Amino acid sequence: MDATSLRFTWFFAKSQLKLKYRYTALGFLWNFLEPAMFLVILSLIFSVVNRMNISDYAVFLFSVLVPWRYFEKVVNSGMDSIVGGEWLLKKMYVSPLTFPLTRWLIASVEFLFSLAVVFVIFAFLKSSWTIHLLILPLSIVPWALFGLGAGMVSAVLFTFFRDVKTLVQMALALLFFSAPILFKPDLFPPESLQGQMMRWHPVTYFAALFQKPVYQGAWPGMIDWLVSFAVGVAFLALGYYLMNRYRGRFYFYL
Amino acid sequence: METIFRLENVSVYFEKHAIKQRSLKYALGTLLNGKNDTRIHALDNLTLAIREGEHLGIIGRNGAGKSTLLRVLTRVITPQAGKVYRANHRHIVPLLELGIGFQPDLSGRENCYLAGMLMGYSRQEIAAKMEGIIRFSELGDFIDEPVKNYSSGMYARLAFAIATDVRPEVLLVDEVFGVGDEFFMRKCIVRMQRLMQAGSTTIFVSHNLDFLVTQCSRLVWLDRGRLVLDGAPAEVAAAYRATSGVPVLECQTSV
Repeated sequence: MDATSLRFTWFFAKSQLKLKYRYTALGFLWNFLEPAMFLVILSLIFSVVNRMNISDYAVFLFSVLVPWRYFEKVVNSGMDSIVGGEWLLKKMYVSPLTFPLTRWLIASVEFLFSLAVVFVIFAFLKSSWTIHLLILPLSIVPWALFGLGAGMVSAVLFTFFRDVKTLVQMALALLFFSAPILFKPDLFPPESLQGQMMRWHPVTYFAALFQKPVYQGAWPGMIDWLVSFAVGVAFLALGYYLMNRYRGRFYFYL
Repeated sequence: METIFRLENVSVYFEKHAIKQRSLKYALGTLLNGKNDTRIHALDNLTLAIREGEHLGIIGRNGAGKSTLLRVLTRVITPQAGKVYRANHRHIVPLLELGIGFQPDLSGRENCYLAGMLMGYSRQEIAAKMEGIIRFSELGDFIDEPVKNYSSGMYARLAFAIATDVRPEVLLVDEVFGVGDEFFMRKCIVRMQRLMQAGSTTIFVSHNLDFLVTQCSRLVWLDRGRLVLDGAPAEVAAAYRATSGVPVLECQTSV
């Protein structure tokens, strides 16, 4: 990516963020209202299903739900970023990477703000605070890499095949409901079929990066770091490769 | 003189059925039924070299491939066949349409930064040009209003001011002159002439033959993606006029 495109990406993302919140004093809070509703409903229902104390369950759930929603947002907004960049890509040369990157930057800033809001909520729910929370800035990194990579892959696919949107959303839903985000990873005995599935599920390891420090008060394991970073970097490499491989064809499909 | 652009056997084509084509379902269908090969050639095996300091005019009927050619030169389109050389170390500024990159909700000033960055300038460079842009575009206090509130003339003036308050080494222009009122148009033409005298290479696409004949040092006539004539402006324009833009056989053989 050339310097011109990078500079433009940075300035464009900043101006988009400014625009979004220019006329609303409570802009970021509104942004959080809808997920907050979602969180309240889910924690009410699933604390009954999982027979857990509600504030305990809410901490467990929020710890991964916030990064998951960030991931989902990056993939979904990244998906139509190239098609949405038609206004520029058809008229002036700019690296196509600009568009998924801009969406990723915007989602990342909003994610940091929702994380801050969640910690305010935790102040009421969480009884003990441990030193393990300090690892969280590093826990964000694999999620961010995975999101950007998956966003670029889906952006390329969506440019050529507009009907993949439904498929990607189905895949996201499948990943979400099969991963230990709503339920605890030790719900199933390790040798059962479900337990085996958890072990092979990549999101299990991503989730552990937040669940362990926030909910269990423990450091994430080596395997959690290895798997999540490997998946994140692999997706980023795949996305970057696809973008470069097909960038010359985008024009004809916008 | 250094070569700025060189195209060798460049072809650009668009597929028909482009709407249905963009789905997985259609892709699987063509995979099973065999390829469809209905193509429209926008550029057909075009070879062309443009050297430093040349003022090249491009003429042709609608759909002749003029704009496609400019888009290939600015790297917006990657041709399906052929080789494109461009002097990337030169500062090339495209002016294909007024207000490219403008965001309606951002102010004129913010849009200046956005558009300036697209043209390869840094923040500081744009900040330094800001005064000149405001003066040339005659916008005054309106510069801090969102551009969606601009009149079309104000919009065009701002866009033109940004694009040309720069000192591009190579300027590509696609029919952007009928903008603003008469006085502003004259100002634009004066500025273009000054840019051209300063030795910048310019490439114009226009339907205004008289303008091209007086301003250009070379004229290229395209028809259906092919080169019809390439030479001195007066001669090419005369041949173009004589045939009303439809090349006859002897024109094609004279290439």
